[in-house]
Amino acid sequence: MQNEQEFSKAEKFWMNFKLYQLWRFIVLNVKIYTIAVQSKWH
Amino acid sequence: MAKVLVIGAGFAGHTAALYLGNKIGRQHEVTVISNRDVFGYVPSWVWVGVGHMKPEKTIFKLKPVYDRMHVKFVHASAKEIHPDDGDQYVLGDEVGTGKEVRLDYDYLVIAPGPLLNFAGTPGLGPENGFTHSICSLPHAIKTRDAYLALCDRMKKGEKVKIVIGTGHPAATCQGAAFEYIVNVHKDLVKKGLRDKADILWLSNEPALGDFGVNGVQIKRNGVVQKSDEFIKSVFNDHGIRYQVQTGVTKVEEGRIHWQNYEGEEGTTDFDFSMLIPQFKGQPFKYIGKDGSDVSSKLINPMGFVLVDGKYGLPYPELSQTPEAWPAQYQNPNYQNVFAAGIAFAPPGPISKPFTNKNNLAIAPAPPRTGMVSGVIGRVVAMNIADLIQTGKMTHSERMTEMVAACIASMGDSLWDGNAVTIVMRPVVPDRKKYQNEFGRDLFISHLEMGVSGAWMKFMLHYTFIWKFKGLLGWKLIPE
Repeated sequence: MQNEQEFSKAEKFWMNFKLYQLWRFIVLNVKIYTIAVQSKWH
Repeated sequence: MAKVLVIGAGFAGHTAALYLGNKIGRQHEVTVISNRDVFGYVPSWVWVGVGHMKPEKTIFKLKPVYDRMHVKFVHASAKEIHPDDGDQYVLGDEVGTGKEVRLDYDYLVIAPGPLLNFAGTPGLGPENGFTHSICSLPHAIKTRDAYLALCDRMKKGEKVKIVIGTGHPAATCQGAAFEYIVNVHKDLVKKGLRDKADILWLSNEPALGDFGVNGVQIKRNGVVQKSDEFIKSVFNDHGIRYQVQTGVTKVEEGRIHWQNYEGEEGTTDFDFSMLIPQFKGQPFKYIGKDGSDVSSKLINPMGFVLVDGKYGLPYPELSQTPEAWPAQYQNPNYQNVFAAGIAFAPPGPISKPFTNKNNLAIAPAPPRTGMVSGVIGRVVAMNIADLIQTGKMTHSERMTEMVAACIASMGDSLWDGNAVTIVMRPVVPDRKKYQNEFGRDLFISHLEMGVSGAWMKFMLHYTFIWKFKGLLGWKLIPE
């Protein structure tokens, strides 16, 4: 964050950059699925 | 043959019914009693509330699913629970005919969802008050109609005040209200009306981004980031004003009365307001064999079912005692009675409670919806199957161990939509296991905003409806 109150221009760019977001989509899905499945067989 | 009865068919009750049907439905009798004959996918009601999703896309009929899953469905409102040994049954009124139904049970799961306590705040709510809600589908539809009428006024040039947040000092589900406020913002931007609206976030949270779970903290590039800074950035970026540490005490037409931490009393005017009410347990009667009231053995004064938690600890002690949170959601007095989802009584708040000088407690209640509800529903179902098959429970999951993921969408477009993705482990901080001031796993916990979150939210809508319909591979999809 640019400071405690606003997103920087760079952050906003990455939030909307589709290729990067596709990467984040994959990473987040794998992360959430893995920890949720771990929890399921707890 | 054992008889298992589930009251309620929401996230917790329906999940429990699916697992029970799958595990023991062929050999034993599994029954669901619910006053609704459809399952409602609550997270998408936010989109219904801004007119972006048709209500019928968020629901499906329960009976065909239960027929496939070896679960009997009774469309009735439960009203009395008779838990004493030897004569254990639930009485209800059949929806439509009003005919009384009696359902005997050997194991009971109480998961009827919350009673929306609009009466707890004079003037609150869409039925007898002046504010709106997205906590039920009829409410979300009414909210959508009011919101679209407001947009028509704005199109004619009128400037309006919108207030969204919590409508009671002890309300929960701030996440749903947050999602609604950012969706309203995004929708107004798309309609070219954003400059006509002054939007205010009004909440009982101790700080922005608290969400009733003491906030979310993550570590990124070695630096700890907190949800209050993050949500502040979101609101500043969207031009949304905010006021936290505030308990709404009364609503009049166009005016909200509140008190804050300092004990100041004030008012906020509005043209449109969506405020989440306080949640209470459903007002069932709990009746013993001799006709006496046995409520005190089953529920707390708020109507939530007492389970295997450690109750009565003061907040400072509770926040250091992860094992105070229930693991198996089993009532200690009636061991064949379980509670899941909102219905179970938490041992106390997760966020730090505060009482102001006027003795008004402003304290968000612990959220136990969505993923948390589903997980508890599964744990309860698996343990009941265990008890029937082997006599011993093998599953447990405290909220101090549980992981939760939450996607708060900002618009529903796959191209220029946005969403905040929140992952936290555990939901309730465990300061013994995680040696940091937050009591969380800072590696797993996650807070991120981007269009990928919008894709996830969209994907989750269809994936979860697939799961809740019990279609091929439903068990592979986590709660």
